[in-house]
Amino acid sequence: MLFRQAGIHHTDYASDRALFPVPADRIMIIGLLVLAVTAPLTTSSLTLSSYLLPWLVWTSATLGLNLILGWAGQFHFGYAAIMGIGAYASVHAARNGVPWEIAVALGGLTATVIGSTFAFAALRVKGLYLALSTLALQFVMDWVISHVPAISGGTQATLQAPPMKLLGQPVTSEIGFYYVALGWCLIVTLFMLNLRRTALGRALVAVREKDFAAAVIGVHSFRYKLVAFATSSFIGGVSGAILIFTFYRAVTPEQFAVNVSIELLAMVIVGGLGSIIGSYFGAAFILLMPGLMNSLIGWLASRAGAQLGVEALAHIPHAVYGALIIIFLLVEPMGLGKMYANLRNYLLVWPFGYARK
Amino acid sequence: MNLPVSAGSTPNPATADSKGGAAPGAAAAPILSLNNVEVIYDHVALAIKGVSLEVPAGGMVALLGANGAGKSTTLKSVSGLLRAERGLVTRGELQFLGTSIDGLLPQKRVQLGIAHVLEGRRVFEHLTPDENLVAASAVRGTTADMRRNRDKVYGYFPRLHQRRGAQSGYLSGGEQQMLAIGRGLMTQPKLLMLDEPSLGLAPFLVAEIFEIVRRINREEGLSVLLVEQNAIAALEVVSHGYLMENGRIVMHDSAEAMKKNPDIQEFYLGGAEGRSFHDIKHYSRRKRWLT
Amino acid sequence: MDWSLFAELALNGAMAGLMYSLVALGLVLIYKSSSVPNLAQGAMTMLGAYFVLEVGRHLHVPMWVAIPLAMLLMFGVGIGIERVALRRLAGRPIIMILMMTLGLDIFLRAIVLTVFGSSGRPMPIGIPDDPLFLGPILLNRSYAVGAAVALALWGLFVLFFRSRRGVVLRAISDDYTASWSVGISVERGVALSWAMSAAVATIAGVLWGSVQGVDQSLSMLLLKGITVAVLGGLDSIGGAILAGLLLGIFESVASGYLDKLVGGGSRDLVVAATLILTIMIRPHGLFGRHDIERI
Repeated sequence: MLFRQAGIHHTDYASDRALFPVPADRIMIIGLLVLAVTAPLTTSSLTLSSYLLPWLVWTSATLGLNLILGWAGQFHFGYAAIMGIGAYASVHAARNGVPWEIAVALGGLTATVIGSTFAFAALRVKGLYLALSTLALQFVMDWVISHVPAISGGTQATLQAPPMKLLGQPVTSEIGFYYVALGWCLIVTLFMLNLRRTALGRALVAVREKDFAAAVIGVHSFRYKLVAFATSSFIGGVSGAILIFTFYRAVTPEQFAVNVSIELLAMVIVGGLGSIIGSYFGAAFILLMPGLMNSLIGWLASRAGAQLGVEALAHIPHAVYGALIIIFLLVEPMGLGKMYANLRNYLLVWPFGYARK
Repeated sequence: MNLPVSAGSTPNPATADSKGGAAPGAAAAPILSLNNVEVIYDHVALAIKGVSLEVPAGGMVALLGANGAGKSTTLKSVSGLLRAERGLVTRGELQFLGTSIDGLLPQKRVQLGIAHVLEGRRVFEHLTPDENLVAASAVRGTTADMRRNRDKVYGYFPRLHQRRGAQSGYLSGGEQQMLAIGRGLMTQPKLLMLDEPSLGLAPFLVAEIFEIVRRINREEGLSVLLVEQNAIAALEVVSHGYLMENGRIVMHDSAEAMKKNPDIQEFYLGGAEGRSFHDIKHYSRRKRWLT
Repeated sequence: MDWSLFAELALNGAMAGLMYSLVALGLVLIYKSSSVPNLAQGAMTMLGAYFVLEVGRHLHVPMWVAIPLAMLLMFGVGIGIERVALRRLAGRPIIMILMMTLGLDIFLRAIVLTVFGSSGRPMPIGIPDDPLFLGPILLNRSYAVGAAVALALWGLFVLFFRSRRGVVLRAISDDYTASWSVGISVERGVALSWAMSAAVATIAGVLWGSVQGVDQSLSMLLLKGITVAVLGGLDSIGGAILAGLLLGIFESVASGYLDKLVGGGSRDLVVAATLILTIMIRPHGLFGRHDIERI
């Protein structure tokens, strides 16, 4: 009843391959888009800049990681390093007078080049060993960025990002930043949604399932894995750049250290491997939950009269988010995206649920 | 048990042959009895349906059939290894020594006396044959027991004793098969289930191994359920056999009768006389035993 | 070429490397039996050290009683982790298992920080601070004790895996289904390896705690442990020992000379580089047996 499927019949291939054939889905998407675009008018500036903005940028990063991890099935434990490369490259480019858009693109390209070069060597191995190589890449990048002053910008290792200029117009307000982040997130989402309709997407799924079987039917698995790494690195690099320009405003090595890689992995896992809407959920969950838990525990502690040291409180977010990963993997390994899909499947036939077995 | 019997002959208890122990329908209670067993994999794929068979105590029974008939699944339902492949017994009864073994863990079933020699041998490749045998003694406590069983196994398979220090993965196919059977024997079983022991072995080795199994059956009264694609070799050693096709038992008869049965000869024994292809093709659409 | 400096770096490095092997040993034990790369091994090492301190403090017992008691506790923790967290994920894609162990690592570290605070505490096991002298070379006495313990453990495990129980564990790591078919309880075997690994982690935690103090940085030993395990072969106990020696020497000597060039902090870089090189050149390590396709 809610998701009317009656009357949906396709008379040509284009409509058959439409992204959202069910009208209810289309209405939902349009509604969400309207909400997103009018957010600066309806929400407070604090919500916008501290919650919505980082959520959107981290979602695009999660989508990029989902591309390599969920779609292509290749491990990447060093995604934060890729983001860091993009961030640093774009900041350096912008500081040297390159127009902002080109600087960001340059950041993405640098990340792509370095990511692909590394992947070229690393993709000789699979599974755990690939994961470990990417982890090692993360550590090497950490070390290089913090030990090479030319990159990290001196002893304090904080590099100020110059102001953004989109198409010549300076963008300095929170609202402007928000729209830039929203724009990028929408581009990445659109790309990922279309992926399943393209040959590239199908090839990646084939490679993920059984790469030697894919090779047998003519899908050059090494090349596609490399393409996946390259694309994913580009998305990561640009996301890192946008994160710096719109949110942090300055770049330091700690922002892209190994714990950030793990946070991104948590976002992908909690959201659901390969699920696009799951990336949104996962990013939101991981970003918001620790803060919420902190407040909750602080409130509980004050009710119970117990005193929690500052130190204790400082580490609870981490404990929560480790626990979240564990609980999700035990309860619903396919993440929030699967839970949403279950709900949607239920609503698709509601109230005729008995028709489904 | 009402099973369609081949049109050609009826099982005659009077002609109990000298092969492999008790004849079908003998007074002793069966050591293993399956009743209308149904197995489903992954909650969707029906593997076997309505399978009922019996192994008399001390007897040797063959379960024949082509690839994919469901023979291995039947054995796994008895030994409890279905859970490793996401399979479930959804209907029917499995009884070993008169008690139901439904739902028991594989370890428990081995303790009760069921030994399953897996298809493709599956020896512990990185261990020596000696260590393979030692590992299989986990279920029968004392070291003295273990040594005694091990010596017995080496007695049956002297070639294994020669190669007992090599890495098992490097043994020849025949030696690995002997090792797998010996490993099963280490658990002091009452029922030995062999899954396609002749797979990939030279004919004379097959004969040798089958002869040893027959010897064990005779000397120790060990009941044997032999699953085989190689119907010729199997029917030489067992007293009676079951034939499976597409997950169902389609025939049950004494080994002699099965060997003489023209349908069996046609489809599983390589044919009796020369027939034109036209006849065969026509014949294959109408198997007489399927009702 | 200052040979005595080289020798000093090499020998101390070798002994420290053997202590890395202790962490790697825990990783190998788990990987051998359940094919799980336990990324929470560093956290377990840290937890073991804290357990020893707490047992000593609350029960007022001397160290040589506290250590076995804590090992017993960790034995139970290992069984618990395997049963609760890992058993449900058996058969799932490896990424989920890796993430589970990673989640455990994060959780354990944060819990330890919350409960015990971030200030380091000493682990007094009675090793005097003064160095040993071998000619003109100074040897770290704690490292020497640690190396001796590591070698002793190695010998113990070599003997163990020849015993009946050990053969059963090796059979389990070869083939689960075949193990079930001969009555081996695979579940118990896997639980036992996790428990042994946790106990070994406790010993590693005690030794490293005596060297660098007990605090959450002990969990950082994971990177070194993994590198040693991969270098030696993820399922080879002897490999873990030899690889520990090699990595220890290499890390010590290389960073001893590199630090002057890059201004410090090159140890981690050397370790990471070794990891990458091992994976590129010989992924299954020096003595690893399983082919990497299994993953």
